[in-house]
Amino acid sequence: MVTTDPTQLMERLDKPAAPRRTSLDDSRGYRIFRVVNVVVLLGVVAVTLYPFVNIVAQSFSSELYIRTGQVNLFPRGFNLDTYKLVAADPVFWNSYLNTVIYTVTATAISIVLTTIYAYVLSKHRLKGRNLLIGIAVFTMFFNGGLIPNYVLVSGLGMTNTIWAVVLPNAISVFNLLVMKAFFESLPAELEEAAAIDGLNTYGILLKIVLPLSKAVLATMILFYAVANWNSWFQAFIYFDRSELFPVTVYLRNMIAGASSATAVGAVESNALAISANIKAVTMVLTVLPIVVVYPFIQRYFVSGVMLGAVKQ
Amino acid sequence: MRTKWKRTLLTLVAGSLVVGTAACSDDSTGAGGVDLEGKKVAAMAEYKAGDQFKATEPLDVSLLYLDQAHYPLKNDWLLWSEITSRTNVKLQPTVVPYSDYDQKRGLVISSGNAPTIISKTYPGQEEPFVSSGAILPVSDYLDLMPHFKEKIEKWKLQPELNTLRQADGKFYLLPGVHEAVWQDYTLAFRTDELTRLGLSAPKTWDEVYTVLKAIKAAHPDSYPLSDRFEGKAILNYAGQTFGTQAGWGYVKNTTWNESEQKFDFTGVTPEYKQLIEYFRKLVDEGLMDPESFTQKDDAAIQKFASGKSFAISSNAQNIVNDYRPNLGNIPGATVAKIPLPAGPKGDVIRGLRTENGIMISSKAVESDKFVATMQFIDWLWYSDKGQEFVKWGVEGTTFEKDASGKRKLKPEVAFGGMNVGAPKNLQRDFGFSGGVFAYGGPTELLQSTFTEEEVAFQKTMADKKVLPLAPPAPFDELERERATLWETPLKDFVLQSTLQFILGSRDMSTWDAYVKELDAKGMTEYMELVNSAYKRYKEKNG
Repeated sequence: MVTTDPTQLMERLDKPAAPRRTSLDDSRGYRIFRVVNVVVLLGVVAVTLYPFVNIVAQSFSSELYIRTGQVNLFPRGFNLDTYKLVAADPVFWNSYLNTVIYTVTATAISIVLTTIYAYVLSKHRLKGRNLLIGIAVFTMFFNGGLIPNYVLVSGLGMTNTIWAVVLPNAISVFNLLVMKAFFESLPAELEEAAAIDGLNTYGILLKIVLPLSKAVLATMILFYAVANWNSWFQAFIYFDRSELFPVTVYLRNMIAGASSATAVGAVESNALAISANIKAVTMVLTVLPIVVVYPFIQRYFVSGVMLGAVKQ
Repeated sequence: MRTKWKRTLLTLVAGSLVVGTAACSDDSTGAGGVDLEGKKVAAMAEYKAGDQFKATEPLDVSLLYLDQAHYPLKNDWLLWSEITSRTNVKLQPTVVPYSDYDQKRGLVISSGNAPTIISKTYPGQEEPFVSSGAILPVSDYLDLMPHFKEKIEKWKLQPELNTLRQADGKFYLLPGVHEAVWQDYTLAFRTDELTRLGLSAPKTWDEVYTVLKAIKAAHPDSYPLSDRFEGKAILNYAGQTFGTQAGWGYVKNTTWNESEQKFDFTGVTPEYKQLIEYFRKLVDEGLMDPESFTQKDDAAIQKFASGKSFAISSNAQNIVNDYRPNLGNIPGATVAKIPLPAGPKGDVIRGLRTENGIMISSKAVESDKFVATMQFIDWLWYSDKGQEFVKWGVEGTTFEKDASGKRKLKPEVAFGGMNVGAPKNLQRDFGFSGGVFAYGGPTELLQSTFTEEEVAFQKTMADKKVLPLAPPAPFDELERERATLWETPLKDFVLQSTLQFILGSRDMSTWDAYVKELDAKGMTEYMELVNSAYKRYKEKNG
C-alpha cells in the first residue's frame, strides 16, 4: 500500500495503539512474566553497570586498597592525587587532543560522504543504482586484508598524517543503508514540488531533504563519533610517532602493557610500574565525553534507528 | 675473422671473471660473499674491538622502537642526543606501543616497509620472516661486528648461537648475549610467617611441599600457594629442576635427551609426568590454589597482599614493585625470594645466555652506508662502553664512578629501588635503561643495578649446574610446513591435558590413553621429522 500524504502517515505512526482490554493483559501468566522481566533486566543492569562504577570508585581510591581488593562500589582511601597526576601528564592531554581532532574530522567527512552516497542510492530512477549498491555491500563481506590495506595507505603517502585515520572506512555500509532507507521513506512529492519551484538537485538535498532528516543525521553522528572515539587500530597501524597517537592507543598500551609483561622469557620485565588507580583514572577520563554526550542525543537516537525500519 | 673476434671476446670475458674473483678474495667481502665495495660510506676503515665507533659522516638509521607505557619515548631524551654526539648517528624511531608490538612488526616486515633495525625480537620470533627474505642473515656479516664476535668467543657462546640457526645454517637474529645464565624467577615466601612457624626456607621441592603443608596446618582455610603468571612461571622453573620443560619453557614440543643423543617428545617423558604428579599433589591436598593457573596476576597479588596466601612466584622486580608496597596492611609482613629449589634432577638450572635481540631489514644491505650501520649496531649493543652507556647513561650527568669502578646514580636521578623520590628518573627523563637498548652484557654490568638482596640471591644461583643445550635441528621449508600442521595441535593438547591432570579433572591413571591420543595427533611422525632434521644438520655442519 502506498501512502502519499505525509501528514497522514505521521499521524498513523504517532498514534499509540488503542488500549485494548484483552484477557492477556491481566492474566496471571503475563504478570509473572513482567516480574521476571524486571528482575532479569535489573540483573543485566547490575552486570553492565558494576564494572563501570567499580572503575570510577578505583579512580578515587588509594593504590593499597585496590591492590588488596577492597574497592567495590565506593572509593576507599579517597584521594584526588591520581587525577592531578594524570592531568599533569602532557602526553595524556596531547593524545586526548588528537582524539578530539580525529573524531571531529572523521565524523564530518563520514557524514558528508555517507549522506551524498545514500541520497543518490535512494533514487530508484538512477541508472546503475544496483551496481552502486552492490559495490558498497560487497565491502561488507570482503576486504583486501591487513597488509594490502597497509601497502595502499602507505603507497598513497598517508601514513603519519590525519588522512590515514579519517579517510579509510569513512563510509560505513551499515550506516549507509540505514540512511538510504530513511531517504526512500521521504515522500517523493516534496522533492517534485521543490523542483517545480526551481530548486536544483543540490538545493533539494540541502534545503528540503536534510532539514527533514535531523533525526537520522543525529543518529549517524552518534554512530560515527562513538566509533571514531573508540577506534585505535588504524592509528596504531599507520602512525609511527607517539605524538600522533589518540588517547585510545595511549590507554591500551598502559593497560595491556602492564598486564602482559610476561612474554615468554621476558627477563627484564620492568613493565609493571603503572599503578591500578592511574589506569582507572585514565579509563574514566577517556570514556567521559561519550558518556556525557549520550543522554543529549539519545532522544534522536531512539527514533533515529527506527527510521526506515518500516517501509510502506 | 669472425671466429677470431669471438675468441678475443671469450678471452676478455674469462679474463674479467678471473680479475673479478681475485677482487672478491680481498677484504672487501663479508663472509657471505656479498661484495661490500661501495657500501662503506660513513664507515670507519679500521674498526676493531675496543674502538669507539664514530661515523665519518652523518648517518641516519631507522629503528622499530617498542614503547613502554611507563617510560614513553620523548624526543628530547639525553639518550638520543648523546648517541648522535658519540657516534654521529641519528636514530629515527618508528614508535610502536608495547601492547601490540608483534602485530605491527609483522605488518611492516611483510609489507616491505621495515625500518633498518627491528628491535625487541625474541629467539624464534624471527622464523616466520626467514623464508620471505625480508630480514638479513646476520651470520654472514659478523666480520663487521668485532665486539659481537669478541663476546661470542670470550664467553663461548657458540652453542647458544647454534640454537638460532635455520635450515640454511645461517642465523637471522642478533641476540642479546649474557655472560652467565641468569635465573630471575623463583618462589617468594612470606618470611615472617616462616619464622613464626619455625620453618626455614625450603631447599628442594620436597621441602617446599612440607613447608606448604605446615602453613596449611596453621591456616586450614587458606591456599598457602596462590600463583600468578597463569602458573606458567612456576611450571617453567620447577620444570628445569625436574629435567623437563613446562609452562613458559614449553616453547617447542621437544626435549634433548643427552644420554641417547636424540630428541624426545616433552609431554610424554617420565620427567614431565613426575612434574605433573608433583603439582597434582599440591593442588589435591589444598596446598596450591587451583586458580593459580587461570587467575589474573592482579588477583594473585591481591590474595598475597591481603594475607590469604603465603607464597607466590616472583622475579626481582615483583618483590620491590608488587609485593612489598602492598603488604603495608599487614604489620610485620616480610617477603623474600628463596633460592630456586632443587628437584629430582639435582641442583640444576636450564638456561640460555641469549635473549631478545634485533633483526636487520635485508634492505639495509642495499644502502651504501651498510657497513657503517653494522658497525654502529655492534658498538651500541655489544661493546662494553655502549652497553654501559645505554644502561647507566652519561658519567657525570646521570651517574658517577668511584675509585673501585663501582657506579652510583647521581642523587637527583632515580631508577628502580635506587634514589626513590629523586626528581628525575633514569628511564622516563633520560631514556636510559630502556628495554630496547639495555639488556645482556657482562654479569658485573647486569648486577650493577640489582639490590643487595638480589645480588646475594644471584650468588646462590651461580653455584647451580647448567644443563646442556639442545643441538640445532632446523627444518627445511617443506618440513617446516609439515611440522607446523602437527606442532600447534600437539602443543595445545599437551598444555590442556597438563592442566587437566594437575587440577584433577583428568585422572593420572589415564596417562597411557593420553599418550595414545598424542600418537593419534602425529607425535611419532613429528618426532621422526625432528630427529631426521637433527641428523641431517649434524652430518652437514658437524
